[in-house]
Amino acid sequence: MKNVDLHHGAATDVGLVRKVNEDSYLVAPPIFVVADGMGGHSGGDVASQMVVEEFQRLSEVYDPARGAEHVAGAFARAQARIVDFGDAHRTLQPGWHAGTTAVVAALVDDNGAAKWLLANLGDSRIYRITEGRLEQISVDHSVVQELIDAGRITAQEAAVHPERHVITRALGSPEGIEPDFFLLPLGSVERLLLCSDGVTGMIEDEEIEDILETIADPRDAADRLVRAAVAAGGRDNATAVVVDVVGLVKDATYDSQRQLQSLESKLGGRL
Amino acid sequence: MSAEPRFAAGDWYAVAGDRVTVLLPGSQRDRVAHLWDLTDSGADVDTVLDALLAGGLSSLDHFALVAHGDDATRLIVRGAPTATVSSPSGDDLVSATPGTAWAERLVTGVTSLRVTLTGDGEADRVLTPGLARVSVVEFGAPAPTGTPAPAAAPATVAVEPEPVAHEPEPEPPVAEPEPVVEPEPAAAAPLHFGEPDDDPTPTGETPVVQDEWYDRDGQTQVGGPVPDFDRPPVPGQEVAPEVVSHPVASLIFSTGDVVAVDRTVLVGRAPEARRFASHDQPHVVTVASPQQEISSTHLEIRPGAGADHGSAIATDLGSTNGTVLAQPGLEPEELTPGIAVSLIPGAVLDLGDGVTIQVTNA
Repeated sequence: MKNVDLHHGAATDVGLVRKVNEDSYLVAPPIFVVADGMGGHSGGDVASQMVVEEFQRLSEVYDPARGAEHVAGAFARAQARIVDFGDAHRTLQPGWHAGTTAVVAALVDDNGAAKWLLANLGDSRIYRITEGRLEQISVDHSVVQELIDAGRITAQEAAVHPERHVITRALGSPEGIEPDFFLLPLGSVERLLLCSDGVTGMIEDEEIEDILETIADPRDAADRLVRAAVAAGGRDNATAVVVDVVGLVKDATYDSQRQLQSLESKLGGRL
Repeated sequence: MSAEPRFAAGDWYAVAGDRVTVLLPGSQRDRVAHLWDLTDSGADVDTVLDALLAGGLSSLDHFALVAHGDDATRLIVRGAPTATVSSPSGDDLVSATPGTAWAERLVTGVTSLRVTLTGDGEADRVLTPGLARVSVVEFGAPAPTGTPAPAAAPATVAVEPEPVAHEPEPEPPVAEPEPVVEPEPAAAAPLHFGEPDDDPTPTGETPVVQDEWYDRDGQTQVGGPVPDFDRPPVPGQEVAPEVVSHPVASLIFSTGDVVAVDRTVLVGRAPEARRFASHDQPHVVTVASPQQEISSTHLEIRPGAGADHGSAIATDLGSTNGTVLAQPGLEPEELTPGIAVSLIPGAVLDLGDGVTIQVTNA
């Protein structure tokens, strides 16, 4: 598990229309999160930040062998905090709600094999590059996705559908949360993208694929995705986290380093 | 304690077994699924308590547990629940003092026991072993709930005072990040995140983009969940139970692996599991395929539902080279991709590259 070498990059932008960036993200290898808050200033930004804080806290005690359980636990704690926060607000302003989407990627240890555990709530998305192709892994929890699944509208119609921003699941919902989980073998993911709908709502999948395929450095790729979304109109906060599995670091490298350090400490730093 | 347990409807879960009943907030769905597994199989109170606490107390702010022994009743409450226990030695109001892990009692000769989770409804529905959504659970003789007790109530039962009348109201868990139980009305109504008119972050500027757009602050809504959307069923097949308490079969792989079919099992060269909930994570079995004859996610085996209840069913997931099934006494057949076939003990599935799976009784 420890010998998976990850490179990553992240970028976020408030966009050209909004005053507040309600997106939050976390890069705490092997845990990555993007959350897109809803509810306006002191609402959505707080909700998405709560998700990030809970996963940040998780990353400090994270046990990859119990990855699914740990991730589900962090979701539950974030949900409890956001609902609590909403309740406190509602006493002053009835009908008020704060909520957030979340997409999470975490490396887990599945009986000794490193795998990607991915989780989704809402309409932020997880994509992967596999064999040179972009593939959307997460399935939006949105009204238009349901209409697409039911065969009532096409993906093209969904992009302009009046209800395209209505999501069916989110953190902060009083009915509780039900994240979708995905488990993928490490080798099936060359590059991973977590992003808010401020990216996918502004640029086409073809452009996302092109950027992820041509820009080698994940930091530059994340930057470029967000800048492209802003350039396309920047109607929403845009956030992207790009993660590359660079390779499996040879155990031998670690061993020799560790032995050197151990020898060093034994000799009182005289080496 | 002769009368049947009863409950009032609410949004907590009651995991009711023959001897052990666990009450958990609606947010603890994952724990509920696991605990039901245990109580259904007749686990004792220590096993149930162990499982309840396995995930740590930090994610378990509220619960109540009631276990009936041969002559004593054990009660544990943590967080919000309160309980009134009546026994020949008197009435006892049990609630956890804020700052403590929980309150626990072992009471002999209990005549009635009422656990209040939310509200103060009349427990007038019978709680049979299984799962129920509850707000109040009552064991033994009915306790007064403000309405006259049913005539069936034994006349000898001491009238229990309501918790509030008895001693000071148990303090609400002030500092706890946990209003898990939400008496939220109009569940199906979409939630509005602010009103479009009172955009909480007025820009005071003309948007750069002039076309019609809806996705500024205050426009995103959460609609009600649509259960059928969660897991689109395969036409003509009943929706399978996600997790069953007892495996319906055991799979013996030619590689030496042995896997129980108590949930979905996915087999392949590099299998991918998609869209599962945290409590029904599939078993993922990776098999080597040097000739690449086996597809990355080749075959699914899961507990059957409906007519196939109690047996395992196999579905080829559109693999490139197919799957051959040999059932005892039948000609080997190639599975049709996407069509589930019921497996009988002794069946052998051949995935190619020398990998076979033998199906045996669990």
